[in-house]
Amino acid sequence: MSMSSIYKTLGTSVLVAGMAFGSAAAMAADGPLRGNVRVVIGSTSTGGDTYQNSSIVVDALAEKLDLNMKVDAVGASSAFRTLDRDSRGNTLMIFHDQSYLGYLYGVEGYEDIFEKYTIGPTVAINPGNAYLVPKDSPYQTLGDVIEAAGNGQEVRVAIQPGGVSEIGFSALKNAVAIEHPGMEDNLVAVNTGSQADKNQQLFDDQADMINGTVQANEQYTRLPADDQKAMRFLWLTARNSTIEQAPEEGLGQTTREQLLEYVEPNVSVTMGGDENFTFDKEFFFLYNKDMDPAIVEQIDEALSEIYAEGDIQETQKNSFFIPNFKPSDEASEYLAEKMSRYEGIIDNIK
Amino acid sequence: MEFLSLLDVSFFLLAGFGALVGIIFGAIPGMTATMAVAVCLPLTYALGLHHGLALLLGLYVGGISGGMVPAVLLNIPGTPSSITTTFDGYPMARKGEGERALRVSVIASVIGGLISAAVLFLFAPLLADFSIKFSYVEKFLIILLALSVIASLSSNMLVGIFSGVIGIWLSLIGTYSISDGGNGHTRLMFDFMEPYLFEGFSLLPVLIGIFGISTILLESEKGVKNELSDERVKLGKGSHFSFSIFKGRLTNLVRSSFIGTFVGMLPGVGGSAASVLAYTQEKNLSRDSSEMGKGAPQGLIASESANNALTGGALIPLLSLGIPGDSTTAVLIGAFTLQGIQVGPLFIPENTDTWYIMMTALVFANFVMFFVMFYAIKHIAKVVMVPKHILYPLIVMMCVVGGYAINYGIMFDVWTLLIFGVLGYLIQKIGLEVAPLIIGFILGSQAEVYFVKSLESAGTLSIFFTKSPIAVVLWLLIVASVVFSIVLSLKSRAKRRQNSSADPDPV
Repeated sequence: MSMSSIYKTLGTSVLVAGMAFGSAAAMAADGPLRGNVRVVIGSTSTGGDTYQNSSIVVDALAEKLDLNMKVDAVGASSAFRTLDRDSRGNTLMIFHDQSYLGYLYGVEGYEDIFEKYTIGPTVAINPGNAYLVPKDSPYQTLGDVIEAAGNGQEVRVAIQPGGVSEIGFSALKNAVAIEHPGMEDNLVAVNTGSQADKNQQLFDDQADMINGTVQANEQYTRLPADDQKAMRFLWLTARNSTIEQAPEEGLGQTTREQLLEYVEPNVSVTMGGDENFTFDKEFFFLYNKDMDPAIVEQIDEALSEIYAEGDIQETQKNSFFIPNFKPSDEASEYLAEKMSRYEGIIDNIK
Repeated sequence: MEFLSLLDVSFFLLAGFGALVGIIFGAIPGMTATMAVAVCLPLTYALGLHHGLALLLGLYVGGISGGMVPAVLLNIPGTPSSITTTFDGYPMARKGEGERALRVSVIASVIGGLISAAVLFLFAPLLADFSIKFSYVEKFLIILLALSVIASLSSNMLVGIFSGVIGIWLSLIGTYSISDGGNGHTRLMFDFMEPYLFEGFSLLPVLIGIFGISTILLESEKGVKNELSDERVKLGKGSHFSFSIFKGRLTNLVRSSFIGTFVGMLPGVGGSAASVLAYTQEKNLSRDSSEMGKGAPQGLIASESANNALTGGALIPLLSLGIPGDSTTAVLIGAFTLQGIQVGPLFIPENTDTWYIMMTALVFANFVMFFVMFYAIKHIAKVVMVPKHILYPLIVMMCVVGGYAINYGIMFDVWTLLIFGVLGYLIQKIGLEVAPLIIGFILGSQAEVYFVKSLESAGTLSIFFTKSPIAVVLWLLIVASVVFSIVLSLKSRAKRRQNSSADPDPV
């Protein structure tokens, strides 16, 4: 059985847990949002960043609103379908840029979120999206990779197609096309699924570079060079200003100072003109289009208060998230603009 | 030994409680160890990492072993990995040896669990390095090896293989994901089915339907007679258990435990492959395997020791690569993430206390599981004494609830359950074989993914033979397995012919 299908049992399970352990708190709120609230997320994993980040936010929100709220790791297509069915506000969704990137890449099950849903507030950034090579790789910098591809050498990059994992690759391909026109096809995508699969591609020498994350791969970068598993960061797609906000001690034993070596301006991927490509993976709420606007307002207000108090920022930073609260209207405008920027890149390399 | 100061009474109580709740989850058709761990995951916030892990590991061990109860008594695999337990467990239960079968299974489980815990403790980082030598090609061959059980499991080889192929075909229905080398579109279905079969048939409803519901249909066909007194006699008479069953079975026990640990260690090769593989090997290698599938304790030993050995095995890549070995450890990883602890190749050296704590919980949970199950069996086994007209509706109800819950409230899963219940009934009526079909269904989609991925990365079929020495060894095992089953079936055919010529008036 594919693992993902089992992960979906999580949904029910967490729901059952909710009923078993905490049904007492329901119906206490005064606002339009009441009863039990289920927050579905676009990932099936309880070990991933979406679950972790959503748990932090939902816990704080549940306390503030005095509601019974539970995070359900149901996966993207199930989450969208569940959200479609419930306009009362008892089902909310938290997801990240994958929600519109999936649409841009034409993945089945994704539609234009700006048309189909109401965009809720953004809550945090995971600055960890990274590209890595084996420790003994000939590529010392990302510039070497672009140069190599431009000089006719094939560079294989293991990614998970159709979203966050692919966008950095697309930008890189776009940069090769700009700097060395016609050579961009030397950058070859090796399509895989999980992080484990991507790592395995590197160990098997089936890929020259992989997409990964600071969180999942940092320990691999600290292995001795003669270890088959040893890796090296080449590029973090996050903005410099995002990493600047990370705790000084960084993650594991890699400090913020060290992480800054892998972001712009030290590593730059051109988008044409003066503009460089960066990508911050941002988490935000999605609502059913017909949900009562008063609920949108209520959640915006509650989150504003939570972020004004300042405790949640500490929790987020401890888990290597960068707090990034924008109320719904602002978030919607910001994300639409962000989407159109990446749409250009994806169109360019088609 | 600093970690000893972290152990207290509540730590052991939580591990024990976890094992108990896990057994209940495992024993209810449609609820799994994965679910049990997921339900309690948020509790790790309140309990802290170490106590939380005690609870979760208890649930894991209990959940995996609890699956044997319905497998033996009701012919319903409580968890996917206990499917091979039904092959011999249910026939034994029908012969009135349910209690004996359960006791054999419990002992095999605890030994499997402990062997894998020992392997995990002593060799984790070493084995993790070994496990990454298994690329797509080797993983495909492992699954092919497990699939070769189809040949030896079936009473008529051609019919068995045909059933297996139908199973594989059923497993391929659904979206062919881009990550798996596909085109991202649905396949093997009509357009109107798309909303339902978007993700294919889900495994557990299929399993429960084809085993549980069809068994109930077949039994119901016989009509409800008052067989209560009959069953009582059987339960008393045939259920005598003594440790002498394990005499001469040590090789089987140890081999199956190692197979379980090993399969658990390979990320992406599902848990059910472990017990299937162990079962095949016992069938091929043992001298007296002709009774397997008809109620032989050795089948139970192979199946149960392997599926419990999975627990230690699956923790190896989790703790030394940061990669979960099976679906339950994939949930378990959440306990670390929620506490902000990275799992990866440096986890064990950097978190020695947590590592020792986990080992303690794992071993302790195995003992609790053993004592709870071994002494409760007498009572659990009485399930078969419940009159069928009361028992069956209850089971169907539980199956339906479990089927509905497994993917958090998808009604189509209930239909899947019923469709496959009827299908399972029909299959047996027209003479096809259920076991090969379900093994094909479980392993088919994985086999495809790894096959396609191997070709995608190498571009040539010869890679399957030339990839590595490991691949060559696997090929030898596959060939041996196929040859054994052919020899076995020829032998049994000759024996049957002999019997029929000796007996001039066969019934």
